[in-house]
Amino acid sequence: MKKRHFWFSAMVLAIAIAFSAFAYAEDEIKVGAVQPITGRFAFAGVNINAGLEDALMIANEEGGINGKKIKYIMEDGQYQLDVAVAAFKRIMSRDNPLIMYGESTGLGKAMSPEIKDRYKILYSSTSFSSELADPKENPYMFVPGPTYADMFGILLKYIAKEKPGAKVAFFYSDTEFGKDPIEAARQMCKTLKLDLVAEEVAQVGSVDVTSQVLDMKRKNPDFVIFQGFVVDPVQTVIKQCRDFGMKTQFMGTFWGASKMVVDNLGPMAEGYMAVNPYMYWWNDDVPMIKKIKAYTAKKYPKVTYRDNSYMQSFMTGLIFVECLKRADKAGELNGPGLVKALQSLKDFDSGGLSAPYTIKNNKFPVARVWKANTQKKILEPVSDWITVE
Amino acid sequence: MRCGDFKESYREDEEIFQSLFVRICLAVLFVLLIITPFVASSYVLYIMNLIGIAIIGAVGLNLLTGFTGQISLGHAAFVGVGGYATAILVTRLDMPFWFAMPIAGFVSAGMGLIIGIPSLRVKGLYLCIATLAAQFILEFVFVHWESMTHGIRGINVPAPRIGDFVFDTEKSYYFITLVLVILTVGFARNLVRTKWGRAFVAIRDRDLAAEIIGINLFRYKLAAFALSSFFAGIAGSLWVGFIKVVTPEHFPFSLSIQYLAMVIVGGLGSVLGSIFGAIFMTLTPELLNIFVSSAKQLFPGLDQFFIPLKEIIFGGMIVTFLVLEPHGLAEIWHRIKNFFLLWPFSN
Repeated sequence: MKKRHFWFSAMVLAIAIAFSAFAYAEDEIKVGAVQPITGRFAFAGVNINAGLEDALMIANEEGGINGKKIKYIMEDGQYQLDVAVAAFKRIMSRDNPLIMYGESTGLGKAMSPEIKDRYKILYSSTSFSSELADPKENPYMFVPGPTYADMFGILLKYIAKEKPGAKVAFFYSDTEFGKDPIEAARQMCKTLKLDLVAEEVAQVGSVDVTSQVLDMKRKNPDFVIFQGFVVDPVQTVIKQCRDFGMKTQFMGTFWGASKMVVDNLGPMAEGYMAVNPYMYWWNDDVPMIKKIKAYTAKKYPKVTYRDNSYMQSFMTGLIFVECLKRADKAGELNGPGLVKALQSLKDFDSGGLSAPYTIKNNKFPVARVWKANTQKKILEPVSDWITVE
Repeated sequence: MRCGDFKESYREDEEIFQSLFVRICLAVLFVLLIITPFVASSYVLYIMNLIGIAIIGAVGLNLLTGFTGQISLGHAAFVGVGGYATAILVTRLDMPFWFAMPIAGFVSAGMGLIIGIPSLRVKGLYLCIATLAAQFILEFVFVHWESMTHGIRGINVPAPRIGDFVFDTEKSYYFITLVLVILTVGFARNLVRTKWGRAFVAIRDRDLAAEIIGINLFRYKLAAFALSSFFAGIAGSLWVGFIKVVTPEHFPFSLSIQYLAMVIVGGLGSVLGSIFGAIFMTLTPELLNIFVSSAKQLFPGLDQFFIPLKEIIFGGMIVTFLVLEPHGLAEIWHRIKNFFLLWPFSN
């Protein structure tokens, strides 16, 4: 019996604390987020959360949205769909924010009908999936940069310029994340007259990629583009190809453009390239990077580096803030007003964090190609900003 | 003069509604369940729908694992088969959801029959591995049979409808879930009182003795697999209609473990235990989430500390339960009931 009393009391206490926390001020603009703080994606989730929160809090310090303060409400989605959907609905029914940020492609897809017909809020996420950048299907959703298909386009454009008619191979994972841009990339190869010689598929994190590497050795591509992996098996593939004496140039998209990949590859990163729409922590000459560094030094004195996933969510935060300001000025601080504001973004200046942003089909299809510098262990730009038409 | 709860036959002993008081309690519960959607928020109803789906899946697994003693680590895959069957029937054949759901249950049951065939020869850990193989094979099929399942992109499914009324909110869907939970739980509760249920228990307790007294092991083991898979299929179908999209990522191995945890924490070999287990495994993480998000408000800047804490608390709670009460929540419930029944002679 005592046990039962204990559980009952614990539950009552939890609910009481929860309700006590619901007393928010009314003149706040609420931005909600479901972030992958724990689970498989946690390595980036913590950074992604910090990026979005910092962008919103910096805006608050600079006077908020025409005087109104932003309140950031975050819950952990664990990178599990049912948990994430529950967190999303909890935030919506409790706080009813104007804007939501999601943790995965899956969450965006699952919530898409309700965002369109019921919640009518501005939505963006960690995902660069083409499916979420569809103004017809998902008018309230946007991708805060180019989609994966656009990134492939940017890399293929770069290849076509550097070596016309080059032999290209795609090496992608057996996941939605891996397969998302492949069909579009095949078409792009045809358009740019590049020779797509191989498509290799592997499991995320697999260690045995011998058969794929042998197949590539036979076909000997000039360029291999990875998609859908974060770390493994990229390292193994590059090592085995080098062991076979292949001179292939390796490339990656956004998640392959992190410093972590360059650090893990070590000397093998020589010549490795990746596409990234945002500037890096070490680009000290960029005003927005300066601002981020100053804010980080003030708020998180122990943090010495923020990876590109932080920059992605920070950029999303800047877009949120700009849309809020424009919608508020127009006296339409609601979902449809925010969408109008989003569609009006043209040459939006993010303080140099990326190229001037112009919305096109609910995405911003501009990025540049970066090359690994193994001495400094950083990535450096080898192209100007490339826009995909 | 007679008094108290006095039974004179096996039939009376096996009654579901043992007394007028129980009937009244259940009627009150039923009324509360009917009223709930009109007063609860969409988030609470979302969780209640999840609990309903989990109850159906857990009852199915308990029939197999708790009553028949066949451990299955592939339950999530059968939920997936039901989900995909529904999505394919609804989108490809334009079949109404109401017809697709039972068919999906039978498709899943058929799959369960196939997987259950080795169960006559393999037992215990070996069967565990066989069902684990089923989980991975089926997951592989979901991903790679692209022409049918659309692979990793999944299938978008329209919400169920009757005429012009669309069940596309938590509130309206709640009634579908509630009806199905009542039907499935009622069916399972009655099944375990029949010859079939007794045969299942006999197989669990000593399969050799069961065979000697004339129980056809092969038939009943297969039936348990088919029934369990049928329930899983219905749960999967319900999930797909609710979430309106199905991808292979919805049915991972961890979901199988979660279902197994539901029946263990709730109580093996008890329909009520399945219900308790499903409620506990679905509700506790959510309550912890609410607790954590409130704690974050009170102690800003400690997110990194509080968020992983809920995982630790949840794990700790499960371990504590199993140590203190190996027979699960159903046993705790029985003890509470007995305390009141026997009062003032409880201790």
